[in-house]
Amino acid sequence: MQLPTEFFGWVVFILQKYGSLFLQGTGMTLLISLTGTVIGFLIGLLVAILRTVPTTRRTPLAARGLKQALNVLLSVYIEVFRGTPMIVQAMVIYYGAMMAKLIDRHTPIPVVAIFIVSINTGAYMAEIIRGGIISVDKGQKEAAHAIGMTHWQSMINVVLPQAVRNIMPSIGNEFVVNIKDSSVLNVIAVSELFFMSKSAAGTYARYFEAFAITAVIYLILTFTVTRILRLIERKMDGSKSYTILGSQTDSQSAITIPADSKEEG
Amino acid sequence: MPNPSPVLEVSHLRKRFGNHEVLSDITFTVGEGDVTCIIGASGSGKSTLLRCINFLEEPTDGAILFHGRDAEREWNRAQYHAKVGMVFQSFNLFNNMTALENCNSGQMRVLRRDRKTATERSLLYLNKVGMGPYRNARPAQLSGGQKQRVAIARALAMDPEVLLFDEPTSALDPEMVGEVLEVMRSLAQGGLTMLIVTHEMSFARDVCHRVIFMDQGLIAEDGVPEEIFTSPRQARTREFLSRVLQR
Ligand SMILES: Nc1ncnc2c1ncn2[C@@H]1O[C@H](COP(=O)(O)OP(=O)(O)O)[C@@H](O)[C@H]1O
Ligand SMILES: [Mg+2]
Repeated sequence: MQLPTEFFGWVVFILQKYGSLFLQGTGMTLLISLTGTVIGFLIGLLVAILRTVPTTRRTPLAARGLKQALNVLLSVYIEVFRGTPMIVQAMVIYYGAMMAKLIDRHTPIPVVAIFIVSINTGAYMAEIIRGGIISVDKGQKEAAHAIGMTHWQSMINVVLPQAVRNIMPSIGNEFVVNIKDSSVLNVIAVSELFFMSKSAAGTYARYFEAFAITAVIYLILTFTVTRILRLIERKMDGSKSYTILGSQTDSQSAITIPADSKEEG
Repeated sequence: MPNPSPVLEVSHLRKRFGNHEVLSDITFTVGEGDVTCIIGASGSGKSTLLRCINFLEEPTDGAILFHGRDAEREWNRAQYHAKVGMVFQSFNLFNNMTALENCNSGQMRVLRRDRKTATERSLLYLNKVGMGPYRNARPAQLSGGQKQRVAIARALAMDPEVLLFDEPTSALDPEMVGEVLEVMRSLAQGGLTMLIVTHEMSFARDVCHRVIFMDQGLIAEDGVPEEIFTSPRQARTREFLSRVLQR
């Protein structure tokens, strides 16, 4: 067989021979980063809600103690996972879980990978969401309490929807970071894009060409995801126009007020 | 004036922020249908008093009794909040919801009404405050006066027995003050029990049954409007009134 002699020749050759590896790797990278970001986001929400549970003089001492202990635990979690590289977390968690017999050789490795990315992302998300909650005017929460909502109800119905809107750029950023940083999981042989690229590069030792392809794929992924998130953000802002339904004299009338015009009473 | 059984009793209420005592020994009762205005200089503790009654601030000492039962211990907090509503100076409409959703949210989450029932109630009160046509507008699309009227409809939709108002017109441009006061006047005529912190002296004089003058965390004077406004007993009441009525 005739081997290529220059860059583009090699690129085409590798794509033809190992295209499916790149495709599988891309799929796995997307799966891990998307699932990890979503679960990490949910962990972050939970942590943020738990950390903001209010206590009063009527709260029983035991409950107050429990909350304090929980707060310490959550702070430790956040510090540890933000303070160590994910590549190290992957090693410690994977081999630790092996030793503790929580997982074995037959455990599907993507599950372990998603676990690692989720728990790592959760620590960052908790802080991002905390920032988002602070950004919401505290009158919003007070009004929710004033009509009888509990802490959970006010968080879920009023505060978090606004907080999440405010931090959408940061959440999107976490997703993009996860697309890129899930590459470190190759150290525990997760068949994500980086790992598959290594396989594709290996046989002919064409590392430059193979990883040039990999770089382009990562770029396409992050670029596309960034655009999609922008779109979602715009969608979340809702329609800028609204309709005035019926008037004092004509209940059938409807006037649509377009964006950027504010009705003064 | 007849003295109906008290709906709300504030008993020896104290509130300290650190070492700063903001409320010292506040005691008064509110009867059913009473419209009570609270006046006083800025910083005298009026907001803190309302916020303690609503448990947005935790009282340092003393008790709030609602229908004779300790609101902090003997009332379910959500139930109490449903019955004692609050209207804020800064409106605090939920920014992520339309006017209608604002009115529905408490009914559906707290009172567990279904959407249809809640919407009916909401529209009733939105129409009452003249905001029915704006049911689908978001807070950012409304003027201050409109927001405050929606906020009042939101509070009314919970079927409260008492409404607390903390300077409901202070954040409004002058031309919008009237529309909100008009709504409040009609609520007063409808027999709703109201506790209103206000700087609108003519409203206090014309609409309220009773005026409480607060000074430095204490009730300095408490009486019917004619008394307070025409022949105040205390020098500090006179001084305050001459200051605000001059403007
Ligand atoms: N959360 C708080 N922390 C510390 N001090 C406060 C707080 N809220 C109010 N105060 C103080 O309490 C006093 C009374 O405030 P407030 O009740 O808002 O007065 P008013 O509504 O009559 O203007 C003021 O001196 C204010 O600085
Ligand atoms: Mg005030």
